[in-house]
Amino acid sequence: MFKRIGSFLGALWRVFRSPSGYFSLGFLTVGGFIGGVLFWGGFNTAVEATNTEQFCISCHEMEANVYQEILPTIHYTNRSGVRAVCSDCHVPHNWTDKMARKMQASKEVWGHIFGIIDTREKFLDHRLEMASREWRRLEANDSLECRNCHDEQYMDFTRQSPRAAAAHQRGLVEGDATCITCHKGIAHELPDMAGVHGWE
Amino acid sequence: MRLFTILTCLTAFFLLALQSVASEGELDALRANVPLLQEPTPEPLYQVEDRSRRPVREYPMQPPTIPHRIDNYQVDLNANRCMACHARSRIGETQAIMVSVTHYMDREGNFLGDLSPRRYFCMQCHVPQTDAPSRVGNTFVDMSDLIRESRQRSE
Amino acid sequence: MKLTRRDFIKSSAVATATTAAGMSTAVQAQNIVTDAQHTQLQWSKAPCRFCGVGCGVNVAVRDNRVVATHGDMQSPVNRGINCIKGYFLSKIMYGEDRLTQPLLRKTNGEYDKNGEFTPVSWDEAFDVMAEKYKAALREKGPGAIGMFGSGQWTIWEGYVANKLMKAGFRSNNLDPNARHCMASAVFGFMRTFGSDEPMGCYEDIEAADAFVLWGANMAEMHPILWTRITDRRLSHPHVRVSVLSTFEHRSFELADQPIIFTPQADLAILNYIARYIIENDRVNWDFVNENVRFMEGNVDIGYGLRPEHRLELAAHNARDSAGARDIDFERFREFLQQYDADMVTEISGVPKRQLDALAELYADPDTKVMSFWTMGFNQHTRGVWANHMIYNIHLLTGKISTPGNSPFSLTGQPSACGTAREVGTFSHRLPADMVVTNDHHRRYAEEIWRVPEGTIQSQPGAHAVLQNRMLKDGDINVYWVQCNNNVQAAANLVEETYPGYRNPDNFIIVSEAYPTVTAELADLILPAAMWVEKEGAYGNAERRTQFWQQMVTAPGEARSDMWQMMEFSKRFDIEEVWPEAMLDANPEYRGKTLYEVLFRNGQVDAYGLDELNPDFGNDESHHFGYYVQKGLFEEYARFGRGKGKDLDSFDSYHQSRGKLWPVVDGQETRWRYNGDYDPYVEEGRKIHFYAQADGRAIIYAVPYEPPAEAPSEDYPLWLVTGRVLEHWHSGSMTRRVPELHRAYPQAVVYMHPEDARELGVRRGSEVRIASPRGDMHTRVETRGRNRMPRGVVYVPWFDASQLINKVTLDATDPISKQTDFKKCACRIEAV
Repeated sequence: MFKRIGSFLGALWRVFRSPSGYFSLGFLTVGGFIGGVLFWGGFNTAVEATNTEQFCISCHEMEANVYQEILPTIHYTNRSGVRAVCSDCHVPHNWTDKMARKMQASKEVWGHIFGIIDTREKFLDHRLEMASREWRRLEANDSLECRNCHDEQYMDFTRQSPRAAAAHQRGLVEGDATCITCHKGIAHELPDMAGVHGWE
Repeated sequence: MRLFTILTCLTAFFLLALQSVASEGELDALRANVPLLQEPTPEPLYQVEDRSRRPVREYPMQPPTIPHRIDNYQVDLNANRCMACHARSRIGETQAIMVSVTHYMDREGNFLGDLSPRRYFCMQCHVPQTDAPSRVGNTFVDMSDLIRESRQRSE
Repeated sequence: MKLTRRDFIKSSAVATATTAAGMSTAVQAQNIVTDAQHTQLQWSKAPCRFCGVGCGVNVAVRDNRVVATHGDMQSPVNRGINCIKGYFLSKIMYGEDRLTQPLLRKTNGEYDKNGEFTPVSWDEAFDVMAEKYKAALREKGPGAIGMFGSGQWTIWEGYVANKLMKAGFRSNNLDPNARHCMASAVFGFMRTFGSDEPMGCYEDIEAADAFVLWGANMAEMHPILWTRITDRRLSHPHVRVSVLSTFEHRSFELADQPIIFTPQADLAILNYIARYIIENDRVNWDFVNENVRFMEGNVDIGYGLRPEHRLELAAHNARDSAGARDIDFERFREFLQQYDADMVTEISGVPKRQLDALAELYADPDTKVMSFWTMGFNQHTRGVWANHMIYNIHLLTGKISTPGNSPFSLTGQPSACGTAREVGTFSHRLPADMVVTNDHHRRYAEEIWRVPEGTIQSQPGAHAVLQNRMLKDGDINVYWVQCNNNVQAAANLVEETYPGYRNPDNFIIVSEAYPTVTAELADLILPAAMWVEKEGAYGNAERRTQFWQQMVTAPGEARSDMWQMMEFSKRFDIEEVWPEAMLDANPEYRGKTLYEVLFRNGQVDAYGLDELNPDFGNDESHHFGYYVQKGLFEEYARFGRGKGKDLDSFDSYHQSRGKLWPVVDGQETRWRYNGDYDPYVEEGRKIHFYAQADGRAIIYAVPYEPPAEAPSEDYPLWLVTGRVLEHWHSGSMTRRVPELHRAYPQAVVYMHPEDARELGVRRGSEVRIASPRGDMHTRVETRGRNRMPRGVVYVPWFDASQLINKVTLDATDPISKQTDFKKCACRIEAV
């Protein structure tokens, strides 16, 4: 049995390695390129599809918990109508990190299949762990996903409330805070914050 | 003659208008002076004032109103967004006003090491202010005015 | 003289402003005052003017004006804190449109129903009133007179009204707005325990291990009790809080068990818990065998609508809604079998795991449970049943009348208990739990009141909802409204309230401090003194009777409700109100005025002016020439003494921060029916429900039945109405306080964002909320303090410019006659 599979794989490998006897180099180059583009495009389209809100909330866990929670917040509706969907904050924009995040996400599929957080109670039990992971990530990357839209270099403090302007000046410009230092719980409810810096 | 007719019509119109104004709907300013069976256009949703200017208190024991927006501030079993700035341990970093010392006292008046749990839900006593115009004025007189008056009288 | 609103403001400003308050003090430089005389304020105690919690307040007065208020550190209720409304009590009396003189609708100097409000003297006001009363009495008899009062009346105001209507005018058409508030609780108490009002007290909070909120949003409606629950929960991590509601509100912030259920399904959940306790063998048999018996109530009892309504015609027991028969435990158990998890989850939408977690709080013998409810249960077409069902659970487990184990019925008004219930200003009641239908009770009252046998009518009068219907139908023709805003408060405004007030056959008198929508529909408005402008007494939800002194004088010609009723009674010779036959049998009453019969009876006028506290004013006593409040109170207190409703002496209440009745030998009773605390309990018994003839409380087998109205294709949404933290009831006081107004300026409709999107509207959109009865315009709110489930919308009723009761249905509990303001069907359209 194993022998037969082994010889089949060996044959395949030999064909793969031998130079082409039928197709021109040009065809192979152009065809390979087009195939590559098609594959790449398809892959990216597929990946992008997993970045839509529709995809995210097709899982009950997302729809019933985090999605309901973002509805009354400023990241869902606001004066300019620019809104953040899940992936804007939770999926890194550069490719390598994005792929790494998508790998991690396979664990969430696992969680979905096995019903780790399939009730509100279970979701709340795991919330601190999940939220902490996101806080760590944003602290480590200097709130990169926030900064795709909000960068203090381009903030006009005179257009902010006095309280916000002062806090941004103190924390972001002069201090070493990053967005998530103060803005935890801005789009979803907070877990038990006992022991989290600034909340105890 | 024509002038007379016009005048009569105007007077009648004026009287009728007056009649309708002075009857139903005239009294209750809180109903925007609209008769009961009519529907006024509801006022717009007013903005919460966000100037962070410290409000004057009408008397020393009045809980100060909140001079900023508190949209989606979470105050529950898990977290207290207000205390993340206004707690004694936080004001150095945030430069917010510390909650009053009474907020560290229990029911019997003993001082606790941290916020008294009975004061946990800030919005029961402190509320933000919108820019809604007032419908009816209030003639409350500040005690300082009465004190000044009594001093002037005695002088 | 015509009076527009602007003139009102001017005239009342002259009357009230003792000083020019034009400039804010903040902008003027000031030296620190050192002379003690200048800084002194006169501080006195009073209970808060708002909800039934009954917080103690310290009130500062200077130059005849209230200048500050704060929470009374000595009050055991609130120990120094108030809610946002309580902190702004200082300003409620100073709205610039305060009513300061009687106003009569007139045309060309004569009363005219369609005339304009014109200032008149008290004399003229009473003349016109008396003429209308006498005409109604002559032509139709006492049944044509009605009065609608309040759980905000002071104890003696309610007592004067009760006496004036039931003994004086011999009409039982007297009801308080407390009918809208806790009539279902009253019937629940009376039927289960034989005595009204809670057995426990607020101290239960500090002893309980679990709190269950049945529909009550205490974080907003009973904020200071909420601080005590919060204190308990956060200080003792083992404590659990379960919050049940038809939508998510502020009380969910403290919830360990948040439960959202379909409207009306509370009945099914309650029976599920009873079944859970029995099926899991958690019944406290020692308790049940000794203290409980079982009954089964009539079912299919209708919805308290007009008798010709199809729902009433279809109901089998609409005429005998209160009927019940004895059963045994086995029958009760059998009755509950249908309430299994499948059935209850289907009706309520609550999963079994949540139902079980909740039931376990009650079933676990080591968990002391406190249940709270207010309008969620009481404003319910099966409100009395809901009250029974919660007692069922507490009685099955014996979790009652001991510290921490407490089914606790909250109230919404400052003296719903003290005045409406204890004084008995309901159309069927007399003081101290007595009723007009009982011969002995009537006789007892007549003896205390020193009126002839047979004075009090034996038929219950018209309750709140029926009064509005009778006004519309022209059966009640003279109607006096005091201390409430029922045009705004009562359900089905357009069809059932408005027509009665404007019925040309009717004369409507409204005593008010401010122009309200009810005052606006009146024919005569009488300016009322309020709160600390008179000496008063309130009774709160834990049976605490609290007194206060008059601290300032009322503006202009405003007079207290008590003064108005007593002074008005001088306008009648007894021959004009009582039938000849009665006077023939009791000739000693001839030649007297109604005032002399009722108030110069040697009891009410027994205490002289020398007994007044010289540090305070008392405008009524100085007017009538004796200490009116003391005389009234001491006469009233005779009803309850020795009957388990004992009140302490008048003077003691002015000294203390209130006492919980029964007060025997100066000692208050914190836990009724408990041998360790209650002197009425039989010697040697731990628990004794002595107000029932056999000493046993009753468990009622009553079912889930559907609501009067549910969403349909045409009206697809549930409409729930209620209050908000910043405003109290119809907002006539709180909306005149600028800080409270700006905090919550207008009503909105809270709805789920996806519901809004499907309707093509968004936050801030103007919408029309419509039912078959009427419609109202408001704006959409998808954020903020409430989170609505799909298909349910919430509208607060405080806003006079958005009268949501145009939309609501006047269905009532057929037993308690209390309206269900929490459930009707509506449609929302973009405007």
